[in-house]
Amino acid sequence: MKSISTTLVAVVVLVVIVAAIAAFFLMRAPGGQEGAGEEKIVIGMPISLTGKYSVEGEMSLIGALAVIEWINDQGGVKVGDKTYMFDLKYYDDESNPDRVISLTERLITQDKVDFLISPYSSGLTFKAAPIADKNGVLMIAQGAASDKIFQQGYQYVVQVYTPGSRYLTSALDFVKATDPNAKRVAIIYKENEFSRTVAEGAKKYAEQLGFQVVFYKSYPADVSDLTPILQELAVSQPDIIIGGGHFQDGQLLAKQLAELNINAKLVSILVAPALPKFYEALGPLANGITYPAQWEMGVKYSPDKVPEGYEWYGPTIDEFLKYFTSVAESKFQKQGLKPSYHAAGGGAAVLMLAKALEMAGTTDTDAVRKAMNNLQIQTFFGKLKIDPETGLQIGHDMILGQWQSGSKVIIWPPEAANAEPIYPLPPWSEKG
Amino acid sequence: MPFAELVAGTLLYGALLGVIYGIATAGLSLIFGVLKIVNVGHGAFMMIGAYTTYWLFTLYGLNPVLSLPFSLAIGALLGLAFYYPVVRRVIDAPEMASLLATFAMGLLLQEAARMAWTSDYRGFSWEVARLEIGGVSIYASKLIAAGLALLLLLFHYLVFYRTKLGLAIRAVVQDREGALVVGINVDRIYALSFSIGIAITVASGSLLAIYNPVGINPYMGAILTLKAFVIAVMGGLGSIGGAFIAGVLFGLFENVSYVALTGIEGVQPLVLTRFIAFTLLLVILLVRPKGLFGR
Amino acid sequence: MVFTNAVRRALRKARLTLAAYLLLGVLYLAFPHYSQFIATLMFYMILAQAFNIFMGMTGYIDFGYVAFVAMGAYGMALAVESLYELGWASIIAGFLLAVTLSVALASMVGAIALRLRGAYFAIATIGVNEGVRYLIEGANLVGGSEGVIIVRELRATFGRETANLIMTGLADLALLLIGITAVMITALILSTRVGYALQAIREDEDAARALGINVTRYKIMAFTISAGIGGLLGAANWALKGGYVEPAHVFNIHYTVEAIVMVMLGGPGTLLGPIIGGLFYGSMNYFLGVIKPGLQLLLLAPILLAVVVALPKGLMGYVRERVKDPRLKELLT
Repeated sequence: MKSISTTLVAVVVLVVIVAAIAAFFLMRAPGGQEGAGEEKIVIGMPISLTGKYSVEGEMSLIGALAVIEWINDQGGVKVGDKTYMFDLKYYDDESNPDRVISLTERLITQDKVDFLISPYSSGLTFKAAPIADKNGVLMIAQGAASDKIFQQGYQYVVQVYTPGSRYLTSALDFVKATDPNAKRVAIIYKENEFSRTVAEGAKKYAEQLGFQVVFYKSYPADVSDLTPILQELAVSQPDIIIGGGHFQDGQLLAKQLAELNINAKLVSILVAPALPKFYEALGPLANGITYPAQWEMGVKYSPDKVPEGYEWYGPTIDEFLKYFTSVAESKFQKQGLKPSYHAAGGGAAVLMLAKALEMAGTTDTDAVRKAMNNLQIQTFFGKLKIDPETGLQIGHDMILGQWQSGSKVIIWPPEAANAEPIYPLPPWSEKG
Repeated sequence: MPFAELVAGTLLYGALLGVIYGIATAGLSLIFGVLKIVNVGHGAFMMIGAYTTYWLFTLYGLNPVLSLPFSLAIGALLGLAFYYPVVRRVIDAPEMASLLATFAMGLLLQEAARMAWTSDYRGFSWEVARLEIGGVSIYASKLIAAGLALLLLLFHYLVFYRTKLGLAIRAVVQDREGALVVGINVDRIYALSFSIGIAITVASGSLLAIYNPVGINPYMGAILTLKAFVIAVMGGLGSIGGAFIAGVLFGLFENVSYVALTGIEGVQPLVLTRFIAFTLLLVILLVRPKGLFGR
Repeated sequence: MVFTNAVRRALRKARLTLAAYLLLGVLYLAFPHYSQFIATLMFYMILAQAFNIFMGMTGYIDFGYVAFVAMGAYGMALAVESLYELGWASIIAGFLLAVTLSVALASMVGAIALRLRGAYFAIATIGVNEGVRYLIEGANLVGGSEGVIIVRELRATFGRETANLIMTGLADLALLLIGITAVMITALILSTRVGYALQAIREDEDAARALGINVTRYKIMAFTISAGIGGLLGAANWALKGGYVEPAHVFNIHYTVEAIVMVMLGGPGTLLGPIIGGLFYGSMNYFLGVIKPGLQLLLLAPILLAVVVALPKGLMGYVRERVKDPRLKELLT
């Protein structure tokens, strides 16, 4: 009797532990097909396919895969006298910070990736950075606009996105250049790390430009009624209203500005209006609303128009679109998906790495990191250049997008613009 | 804007949102009252309701008001579909079993919704008109949502106090063994109560979508569960009328405390209203450990 | 003498669980490539254990439990932020402050909420968790919504290499020690009269009171011990290891739900249960994520439902009911 029950228990306990450990050793990441005899550079990417960042996460993953396919179709990257193909391994981090830590390590130590692309969002990138830095693996941070990651002294983390402190500067530049009479700025933002950095940066910049910040307040996450704060905002009679936070609250902010009939010459909201669903949610009310974006479909960056000191690198916008569509359809069963700026940012991360590899002439991490300091390229994503000391992105500029008759256009800066701005914003009551 | 209008607007919006909160909590309270189960997946069921309204409007142009019968029906079926294989087996198990079961139910709905509809934040534009009430501008759709919530509450009340089913449910709540003795099929009453509770919950998700037709996504349920919990306890768990009144109080309180907090330098008033609301919860529980209307 | 006897009994009880931790420690050293996965498992195991000390033993469900873990994370972050020039002393101070803050919050919450029962208690604790979070964010205390970042401070004092070591190896060692502490405390409780008192409370609190058990005292005791271990966990895993304490993350109620799931899976009120639950949940979630990225939660849900329906007393409860041999039964507490 005794031996039977003992065996049973032992088996139950052992099976759980052994199966867990065995599975761990045997599992492979999706992506990594074995190429016969080819030299490969493997990039690892923990990315959110579920949870709150799944939309942006999937976009940036598809963007990165699209640029990798483009590079491979061009015959790979020439590093010194060898040519390498790119390969990407990724895991779903569930938008969960704890998961990011173990997956990043897994990519480095088990999948033996050569370089890393960060997960989406500053919060998750924060968790991946110490692991990358400890293992001396270079991580290209896409989807992370925080300034703070780059103030921590990491040697192996470099940024793709324009940092948050410069997010709303394009909107202010635009107003400054367009309307000298608009002076009163209201800033309303979601209370979290990212939006607060953006708001603080905007406030500082607005005051530098001679604007008067007449309202500066925040609202909590998952808010369902902004009436009290918006009524107070209306009292301050702003000329321009800027701020926001993420998707849900951004949609609500626009909707309630219209509902309460609070009019301004310019309304610029973070994140939410950059996605097509914004127009579906707001209808004609969306027209005229502007938003800062890292990138937008229709930007005019091209090899024919490269700024002083920069050189063109990577696919053209049309090529990127073609590869993006094909990856989205073949690997993610998404028909007709249009790239957002998250997708372009994911692709730009791959380009920065490829260019730095070419410049370094070796795959050695330290050499590539060093080459990154001299990198100064114009891509389909815009300019890219980092601060050698911190890895912070200093080359890339935000664009200012605007909804016009149901489509997104670019109104600022002039070199990227493809439409005339609607300014001032017509009153809500005229939009029905 | 004069101060009076500021207060009027704040009160109006707070009360309307409170009515939605109230109906959104009624289903949770009903299920707890009868089955003694706290539905941790509550918000996920509301999410299903929001999507029901969204899809019927976006795909078929159905007036959101008319989506209510659909979400009631979907909720009733979902309730039965979860009751027989799962909920029924955890009624008499320790509290933790039912918590885990309802958590898993919510997770299942949430992930299924994500697979089916992606995690895009969706919304729709159904604005009947914009009204001016006492100098405050507001969409008529919000008033409609609140009106429907009151109707749903009335319906709920009628079922409870004017039908045989309601009588049987109340009998089971009062004395389960006694109900068994007089020949009430307790299992069936449980099934029906759970089904009605979920139906009301899903329908309240539809009402929320009419009230705020933006930000609909698979993960929207978490905060709704949290708020419903707080309101349910404030009103006294199991008391549906209490839940409703607490909902209105909660909505009003959130907005009114904002006005009070704007005077304080260096704080974020709208963020602090959350702190005040949760402090209020603790104070109420200190004074009345079973909520305002709990027995 | 009574005390040493209790320790001896506790050690005997805890043989298997301590072995599990030591095994993980050995695996950690033997397979450094998988160290962060093992560390994640330890995090889950400790979270489940700490939660179990109160919830598993008394039957009270504390939905706001994560607030205590958050307090610990803040304790460590604030100590390092302000004292980093002292070097190692700042980290020791961090652990002390972590325990102090979480125990202080637990005492306050305990005084109010422990008078409540069942769902009222559960939901009042949610109120505490959310209330503290929004107080920090709204009144802009200790960094407000931006939280506290200590990576730069760690690097300034210890240099890059040592700072990296602290944020991985040493933080993980701390986890191991916290796990062992949690095991020993649980075993001690189970093998002394405290355990019987708590069990009596779980079965029938009013009857326990009528029998002359000081119900309030034992409840507060278990509550604060559970909170203190949670605080240590937060200090090691979120502040020291992550280097960044952000309110939106550390007050996330999802962690409480995970703790409930793990304790339930393994079997509440037992010693081995939370460990099994933590191992099972942690690895399950992880492997499903590796095999089918994006589908793991959809797959996890039916598994959880099946466990609840088939094993209402958790894996341990199921196994114990089927074990006849008393010695084995004792081993499996």
